[in-house]
Amino acid sequence: MTNMLYRPNRRALLRGTAAAGAAALMGTLPGRLMAQDAPAKPAEIIVRAWGGSWVEALKKGVSDPFTAATGIQVRHDLTEDNEIQPKVWAAVAQGRVPPIHINWDTTTNATKSALRGVTEDLSDLSNLAGTTDLAKPVGLDGYPIVNTYGYVYVLAYRPEAFPDGAPTSWKAMLDPKFRGRIALYNDGIGFHFPAQVAGGGKLEDIPANMQAAWDFIAQVKEQQPLLGEDPDFTAWFQNGEIDLACTISTNAREAKKNGVDLAWTVPEEGAKFDTDGLWIPKGLPENELYWAKEYINFAISKDAQQVWCDGLGLPGVVPGLTPPADLVDDPSYPDTPEEMSHLIRISTKVQVENESEWFGKFKEIMQG
Amino acid sequence: MSGVQQPAAVVAEGVDMDFGTGAAMAVKDAGFALGRGRFLTILGPSGSGKTTLLRMIAGFQTPTRGQILIGGKPADAVAPHRRSVGMVFQKLALFPHMTVAQNVAFPLKMRRFNPAEIAGRVERYLELVRLGGFGARRIHELSGGQQQRVAIARALVFEPELLLLDEPLAALDRKLREEMQLEFRRIQKELGVTTINVTHDQREALVVSDEIIVMDQGQIQQHAAPAEMYRRPANPFVAHFIGVSSFLKGRRSAAGIEVNGIDCAGQAVADLAPGVACLGAIRAEQIRIAPAGAPLPGCDTVVQGQVTDIVFEGERLLCFVTLPALAAEVQIYHHDPAGLDQLAKGASVSVGWTAGDLLIFAADKG
Amino acid sequence: MSEPGPKQDFRYPLHWRLMDGVERLADIVWPRSMARHTGWLFIAPALLLVGLLVLGLVQIADSSLRVLDTATFLPSEDWSLTNYEKALGTKVYLTVAWRSVSAAALTTVLTLILAFAYAYALVRVRKAWIRKALLITLFLPFFIGQVVRAYGWLIILGNSGMVNEALGLIGVAPMRLLFNYGAVIFGLVQYMLPFAVLLLVPALTAIPEETETAAGSLGASWPRIFWHVLLPMAKPGLIGAGLVVFTLTLTDFAVPAMLGGGSQDFIANAIYDQFFRTADQGLGAALALMLVAAGSILVGLVFMVFGAGTLAMGGRK
Repeated sequence: MTNMLYRPNRRALLRGTAAAGAAALMGTLPGRLMAQDAPAKPAEIIVRAWGGSWVEALKKGVSDPFTAATGIQVRHDLTEDNEIQPKVWAAVAQGRVPPIHINWDTTTNATKSALRGVTEDLSDLSNLAGTTDLAKPVGLDGYPIVNTYGYVYVLAYRPEAFPDGAPTSWKAMLDPKFRGRIALYNDGIGFHFPAQVAGGGKLEDIPANMQAAWDFIAQVKEQQPLLGEDPDFTAWFQNGEIDLACTISTNAREAKKNGVDLAWTVPEEGAKFDTDGLWIPKGLPENELYWAKEYINFAISKDAQQVWCDGLGLPGVVPGLTPPADLVDDPSYPDTPEEMSHLIRISTKVQVENESEWFGKFKEIMQG
Repeated sequence: MSGVQQPAAVVAEGVDMDFGTGAAMAVKDAGFALGRGRFLTILGPSGSGKTTLLRMIAGFQTPTRGQILIGGKPADAVAPHRRSVGMVFQKLALFPHMTVAQNVAFPLKMRRFNPAEIAGRVERYLELVRLGGFGARRIHELSGGQQQRVAIARALVFEPELLLLDEPLAALDRKLREEMQLEFRRIQKELGVTTINVTHDQREALVVSDEIIVMDQGQIQQHAAPAEMYRRPANPFVAHFIGVSSFLKGRRSAAGIEVNGIDCAGQAVADLAPGVACLGAIRAEQIRIAPAGAPLPGCDTVVQGQVTDIVFEGERLLCFVTLPALAAEVQIYHHDPAGLDQLAKGASVSVGWTAGDLLIFAADKG
Repeated sequence: MSEPGPKQDFRYPLHWRLMDGVERLADIVWPRSMARHTGWLFIAPALLLVGLLVLGLVQIADSSLRVLDTATFLPSEDWSLTNYEKALGTKVYLTVAWRSVSAAALTTVLTLILAFAYAYALVRVRKAWIRKALLITLFLPFFIGQVVRAYGWLIILGNSGMVNEALGLIGVAPMRLLFNYGAVIFGLVQYMLPFAVLLLVPALTAIPEETETAAGSLGASWPRIFWHVLLPMAKPGLIGAGLVVFTLTLTDFAVPAMLGGGSQDFIANAIYDQFFRTADQGLGAALALMLVAAGSILVGLVFMVFGAGTLAMGGRK
């Protein structure tokens, strides 16, 4: 069981703060929830979630108000996202009732499940009308998933190591003085696309020709980077092991909240932008499916989003949300088209189909 | 004492061993000299310090006081693996992963003998212990007696100045033990190697040794040749430990010892003032027994008694007889099993002995 | 016996009476006439477990023959050897496999050397309190568990950890002690040491101290006693311990993942990636089966060349 012990997800170490005002949401719940002709309510629904401040944010922003409005208890299953996936797949393949009602998942992983056909279609959720384009998964028919917020793989750095100001390019990683003092995700996630640009290639060539990315990654390999997961990044920054890392902004924000002198930037080559979402596995009883859909429908309401995404420190999928005070105009909280234009967003379908090949290629370079 | 003319092979002088555990000293003021080619047995009950004394002679332990010289040099002056001492251990300590020949060749290889000589020498010593042709066998394929012989060959093959035997026969059954005792004696005589043996078996000591040291409570009680040791024990402990003896408590009298008001004829081993408390010891085979009233010619003391038990030992009977007049019980060997019916349990008997056979010791010991 | 019979108020001890009750109950549930099948009854659960394991292996074998279609994320309907070709044809898997095998061999050698010395001290030391201290020192980390211990090393060996601070006191600049091959080997040896000591202690206990004394009295210096007597006599224990350490190391996941800094993966890490990161169960299954096969072949070779050591359990030496 070392897997589960070792690999707490990136959310596990995060300690966000949630905005207040959950009780106020009760009045804004869609009327449909109160409808007399709704199917029988289950005693509880199970939502797989990431632990720590992530689940706290979800509880405060979505689950608690949902329970208050409907009387349905919400149980949060903190099984690792990568480990729930084969379980759900097996349940659907064997015609069993799946172990969870709702999976909170990365869009890429969720898309794999959607392609495999184990997700319920969510196109009929009434609140979808009020969401931005970000909520719609790219390259899939309908809404097998609903994206709920976005996040950026920023270049995080210790200002102490950059007395002349923030690094402007990912090429800063190649500076000999940072040899052994940089960190990447151990499958390279978030780094492939900016590496393609930094290596002199074009984003349009993804996935056909990524030689530029591999060449750049090979150069970075010569710098002996550390490879790890989100908790590792926080720990490494805290222990002074590294000066530079390609990591999700929330990890950097978390380390900063813990007192580490840390800053982050989106370099000139851009940074990868991606989303997380919610989906429902196939095979639920009719009434439970209905209430699971109601949960997701509520999660993309403006009021739920404001509280939930404040807790996460990430931009939601409803227009007009108020960003947390510390993230106003922060490049890791893109809420304007100008900010979005600096970010790299690659079709989920392309990612899903090529991700394992990219991971393999990255490993091949790093393990060599 | 023996070995007077020859230079001593082993000398111990005032040797103490105190393990510092707060208990009594393991060895106290031990001293002896052993001539070249002699076979000495250190005999004593368990805990008497005999094994500790042997381990000091082997150089495994250093005396807390006094010294042990082997060939004139202190025993622990050189590292164990450079000493010229062969040892046969209690559990033999053969090497199970080697063949018989490899076991015997081991000391030759370790002591860097000429490799060309080794095979011939190994075979010669296997012949000596009557294991010729067994060289290729594995140790676990041999019987207990054969393993003993391998251990002896291994301890002797490098021609040590001194051979030490640490109760190697203790675990054998009686028949094999007696056979091996005679083998030890034969081999020792054949090679003439100075040998020190440790045992708690008085028979073994008497059979194999030129000299015996009896130890008790860390102290040497007597050092003598076997026959002298048997006939002239130095104190009641030795009299008790070797052979079967009965004891009478009394006071020194002119004729011998006065027991319960009766004067018994005896012979004092040392000058003892009349009237001092003393102990008479007599061996089971030196008391004569006859039906009550029958004459016991030649006996200096005759008393009446009653048989309380009788044990048939084959070639002899062991009779337990109470002597009410002396307030004592004695053990008697009777070598005429035909007289069994007359000596039945409860029978009244006459017992007697000659003055020379009742040895009188001061009563402070035993 | 002149003793009178049990007194009126005499009672057997409670655990005797309990056992009598259990026996009576057992007679009802499992009559005496079934006695000759009792052996099977007791190994039935173990057989069941092994059976399930075999079933699992069969299922893994099946999925290893199916290729993942990344357009639908479903395994293919028909069987092919594509996954095996991919595993054998991809340089990274060969690199990782070679790293696992060589690290397992190196760890085994280092662990056996250290464990032999430790076990020898444990067996031969005379003072009871020293032996107890040695045992506690050995088993305390054993009880703490692999992952927590690896985290401990991250703290101790980190750039601002205890070791680097101590080095700093004598003027040595902080250096990277973690996240390299050496750190992984170090962590593995430290993890395996108690296992190896545990397996070596019985083997060394079986060598009487007298045998060493005898070898010394026959003219062997300590190094020669070690080489000619101790080592050959301890061989069964060394083989048993070596096999356990080798197989555990070969299949280890946590130490390379945590102390390797991501660039020192073993086969188990590669398998984990396939199952849980890229969802390619087919390739993961193929890698897993190849690991099982490689491990079995290596262990089989050791059995053939050296015998099974203490793992032969009374079989031929």
